[in-house]
Amino acid sequence: MQTVIGVPAASTPPVPARHVQQRLRRITRKLPVLVILTIAGLAMLFPVLWILTTAFGKSNGGLATSNLFPSTLSLQNFRMIFNEQSTQDPVLRWIFNSVGVSAAAAVMVAVIDSLAAFALARLRFRGSKVVFTIVVSSLMVPFIALLLPLYLWFQYLGLLNTYGALVLPYAANAFGVFLLYQFFLGIPQELQDAAIADGASHPQVWWRLFVPLSTGITATLMVLTFMNVYNDFFWPLVATSSPDMRTITVGIEIVAIGQFQTNYTAMMALTVVSIIPMVIAFIFAQRRLVEGIAVSGLQG
Amino acid sequence: MATEQQLVVQTTGAIAAEGLAERKKVRLRRHHELQNGTAYLFLTPYLAVFVLFVVVPLVFGIYVSLHNWSETTGNGGFIWFRNYTTLILGRGYYGSEFWTSMWNTIFFVIISVPLLWLIPTALAYGVYRAPLKPLWRFLFFYPSVFSATAFGSAWSLLLATNGGSVNNLFGLNIQWLTGMPQAWISIDLATIWATMGFSFIIMYAAITQVPRPTLEAAEMDGAGAYERFRLIILPLLRRASVVVVVLNTIASFNLFAQDQIMTNGGPGTATTTISMTIYQQAFDSFNAGGATAAAFLLAIVLGVIAFFQFRISRKAV
Repeated sequence: MQTVIGVPAASTPPVPARHVQQRLRRITRKLPVLVILTIAGLAMLFPVLWILTTAFGKSNGGLATSNLFPSTLSLQNFRMIFNEQSTQDPVLRWIFNSVGVSAAAAVMVAVIDSLAAFALARLRFRGSKVVFTIVVSSLMVPFIALLLPLYLWFQYLGLLNTYGALVLPYAANAFGVFLLYQFFLGIPQELQDAAIADGASHPQVWWRLFVPLSTGITATLMVLTFMNVYNDFFWPLVATSSPDMRTITVGIEIVAIGQFQTNYTAMMALTVVSIIPMVIAFIFAQRRLVEGIAVSGLQG
Repeated sequence: MATEQQLVVQTTGAIAAEGLAERKKVRLRRHHELQNGTAYLFLTPYLAVFVLFVVVPLVFGIYVSLHNWSETTGNGGFIWFRNYTTLILGRGYYGSEFWTSMWNTIFFVIISVPLLWLIPTALAYGVYRAPLKPLWRFLFFYPSVFSATAFGSAWSLLLATNGGSVNNLFGLNIQWLTGMPQAWISIDLATIWATMGFSFIIMYAAITQVPRPTLEAAEMDGAGAYERFRLIILPLLRRASVVVVVLNTIASFNLFAQDQIMTNGGPGTATTTISMTIYQQAFDSFNAGGATAAAFLLAIVLGVIAFFQFRISRKAV
């Protein structure tokens, strides 16, 4: 962005002393902001640093050390959560469940929502207004209202404690339809017309034209869906009952109010392990995540 | 001979071109007519999962909430709105528990929602004016990708009375999680720390959309940073603010995981939220009818709040 508007561009070269003075003034003017941001930033960083050092520190009988930076690092705590508890608390299985379920939900949402958004944005059909209103109004249904009925419904279907139960309720994602709908509206009609005139069918137009053009926003939707499903707690808590089918968020809760209650260091190690998939997702998709959240905010 | 052949080729070519153009026109005309069949084919997957996992549960939930229904013994008979009246009038143990936890939740909402707007907005404006933007953006956002159980367990260990890091480091003996009002302060603190990143990103994105020339003109006219923020930026943040407030209101009303892990609703029932009461009714007391009724009441409250908040934002824009 050019920001020279209003600044006399062709003025005389600045006298060095004045230049330095100006710079100093600019820095001192920014100083309060920087100080506040630094304090806030440290406050954001501090708890995680502490958790990491505790997790990688000595087991110490389960008590946290008062030492922020332990002199010796060890994997004792991690060994403990993976070995001793493997049958009753299969940590790796929980993470596998969480990642698998979240990935499956993300793919399902992307396909289903892209198809629906294409029809709503680019096809003329009877009842389109009604369908659109239904989609938008279902954005307003809080999940808490669906939770128990979904539980009873899955109980009736005999699907409780299965992967189906963990994935399917996330498939109807009205937010995704809305997001892609907005994007598809922006694709020029001429492109669609040209493809149709050349003999492409509607599924071909969708697959060959709209899907490639929307990979960015679709990836954003998938990352957001992955994160939401991975971090969800209430639904997997009620939908599963056997240790094998738990997701990691539920696993942590069970362990936290169960036998690790007094073993803080092992609990910290488990917490660290649980966030690894999200850390990886964050590293590779920070831009997408941030963009998705920003877009959801700006659209209202 | 050659010319004749050329002529033939030319004419067939022209006819073919004309035919192609004609066919294109037909295709386009057909395209611009109604496409009911194709459209509903595209919509089938969405409508199917929508009916199966939204409509059916909702209708079934209404049915259950009007019955004396238990997960273990099933349908115990139609009781009209008694599940709802028990809750609204606060009758019996469950009714009083409902209101205790409802007030707890409302208290949490009243404390956390303004802070979850104020802090991210202030930080977003700070970052907007500061150098090193990517660093600050990362620092203020990154905890938002952690699950509520992960940050809940982390904070409960930092704040544990015996052997917790905070008490250890400072040689204190404060009951961060088991005393009042510290328990609420701890939950609020952890929630703000962990979830304000979303609001920060939304507010920051909105601030960057404020036209720069307007701000520069205001600066030339002698408006300070605070005045520029209050008079120019803030009015333009209305829409994003409403989104942030609505999302945080809904999220705060649904407070569950971190609370469960950090205080388990205690001390006593001081931090028991409405979600926890619904869960306990459904899965500890097996009162599916009553729990569903409570969930619907909460959903109605949330729906009304969201509706009014969006109405306000529509007017503002």
